[in-house]
Amino acid sequence: MFPVLGAVMSFSVQSAQESASKTAILILNHDAGENSTQFIAQLNSSLRTYPVNVSTIDDAIALLPVYNATEIIEIPDNFSQSVIAKTGVHVRFYSVFSGGGLLEGVGSSIVDALVQQYNRNLAPDVVVSDRSSIIKGKAVDIDPRMLSTFMISQSIAMPVIMMILLSYSMQIAATSVAMEKEEKTLETLLTLPMDRFAILMGKLSGSIIVAGVGALAYMIGFNYYLGSFTAVIPSGTNVDLASLGLVPSLFGYLLLGISLFVTLLSALAVAVILSAFAEDVRSAQSLVGYIYPLLFIPSLALMYLDINALPFWLRMVFYAIPFSHPILASKAVAMGDYWTAGLGIIYVTAFTLVIMYVASRLFATEKILTAKLRFRGLRKREKTPVE
Amino acid sequence: MGVAVEAKTVVKMFGNIRALDGLSFSFNAGEIFGLIGPNGAGKTTSLRIISTLLLPTSGTVQVFGLDVVKDAAEIRKIITYLPEEAGAYRNLSGWEYLEFMAKFTAKSKDELHRIVKEAAEICGLGDRLKDKAKTYSKGMKRRLLVARALMTKPKLAVLDEPTSGLDVLHSYHVREIIKRYVKEHGVTVLLSSHNMLEVEHLCGRVVLLNKGKIVAEGKPQELKEKFSSTNLEEVFAKVVGLA
Repeated sequence: MFPVLGAVMSFSVQSAQESASKTAILILNHDAGENSTQFIAQLNSSLRTYPVNVSTIDDAIALLPVYNATEIIEIPDNFSQSVIAKTGVHVRFYSVFSGGGLLEGVGSSIVDALVQQYNRNLAPDVVVSDRSSIIKGKAVDIDPRMLSTFMISQSIAMPVIMMILLSYSMQIAATSVAMEKEEKTLETLLTLPMDRFAILMGKLSGSIIVAGVGALAYMIGFNYYLGSFTAVIPSGTNVDLASLGLVPSLFGYLLLGISLFVTLLSALAVAVILSAFAEDVRSAQSLVGYIYPLLFIPSLALMYLDINALPFWLRMVFYAIPFSHPILASKAVAMGDYWTAGLGIIYVTAFTLVIMYVASRLFATEKILTAKLRFRGLRKREKTPVE
Repeated sequence: MGVAVEAKTVVKMFGNIRALDGLSFSFNAGEIFGLIGPNGAGKTTSLRIISTLLLPTSGTVQVFGLDVVKDAAEIRKIITYLPEEAGAYRNLSGWEYLEFMAKFTAKSKDELHRIVKEAAEICGLGDRLKDKAKTYSKGMKRRLLVARALMTKPKLAVLDEPTSGLDVLHSYHVREIIKRYVKEHGVTVLLSSHNMLEVEHLCGRVVLLNKGKIVAEGKPQELKEKFSSTNLEEVFAKVVGLA
């Protein structure tokens, strides 16, 4: 599992670095002096800069998609004067915030490095960078690094909760069926005058209740957890995270809850199917363990990465894994993208229905008693004599 | 009295293993019918097919006119099955276990109480019924499970080694209960056993299985006469070629 994760992270860091090197910056220059031209030239040596001939920041923001840019630098009209006098001049840097992940700030870091280099040639702290964010086309007076921290914490919470909830619930579901085999109560149960599907739902319902309570607790706790982050916004800053769309709306929470629930249901059904092939509780728990990489790899990878930065084939792999979708949904609903969450719910629901059908067929036939997984290849290797 | 169970040319394959090889037998309602044979003969497989746990690979089996494949759900309403290795839910007390099982059949609270009270009489566990099943000995668990199998007075009780693990007195008690239930309540019993004394005392007719085939069939007395034996054990040994 860790080699796979390492490869994914390594590839994504590489991708982020490549994207960062192609960062495009719009320059909104109010200064007419030579020093601002030199400053722009310095930036241009490492990044692509496009001076724009508009008067306000809002006009510049409207041009971002035209130039495929993610940064705007607004140079004040007293820039050259201040540089010559070696008094501090505040240059405002606006970074587009998309909530993609840990590596989103790589481009801004390059700009910071170039500003520091410019200052080294003059005097310390001549150019002082003031940071602002552009969120959904609006300039907001919040440092994007602060927002990144907030979003990263948010994007860590869901995967961690997922891993805990799913792994715990899957063990409960697998144990409930395997225990019947181990305790020799399954044969009696299957000859009772009860619909086999009802037996399956009975087995799942205990785990569903645990998972449902867990999902609800998560929703409530997550909402409280997000609320605590208003403390990191500097006092006096009049910012409403909800209006910025960085905190899920009620509808977003609903989608998130549904996504989590259907994913839990699919995981439980998979666990029940696997446990049918086990002869006792211990082997059922071991079998369920083979599913964990499909749970942990997307959770750990999507904690830090923006799925849109991954190559197409890898993106498709993550989309195909049902356990990725609550994590993708949590990022999407925070940015107001309900379509991604909704499509994920539809996909996982379809997957769950298929798995539930397979599970119900297993319970309806003698396979529930006779199915066993035999690791023939392993046994053959064990039998080969050592020379 | 109609036919309780009719099996015709039943074959059961597990992969390449032919567990049952063209088995055909039948017995009537109100009988106590025995399946006997060595280990691996196909007794448990036969009982599981009749109890709708397994499907025959070919052939037909009917229980009171219902097909075990097409009418499995209906058959489960009129039978009970006691596996050879059966367990009770460890964290339920004896009472709770019997109540839980009775709820699948009882149509009213009064009927539930009656069934559970009857089960308590059958198993004879007394005050120990208040204790959790995980505290029971093997014999006590078996008595509880036999009570569960008989308490609802099914049309057909399928019992795989009903007195397995029971001491002499309790085995005798269970055999008497089985005979009483057949006589007083019209329960039909299909059982398998390694205890030839038990088979002789209980069964009206028996079938001897070996390697998935019927090698002898008839009343215990008739079989003893036919094979010039003093007991069914001798018949058994002669038929499977050991004597």
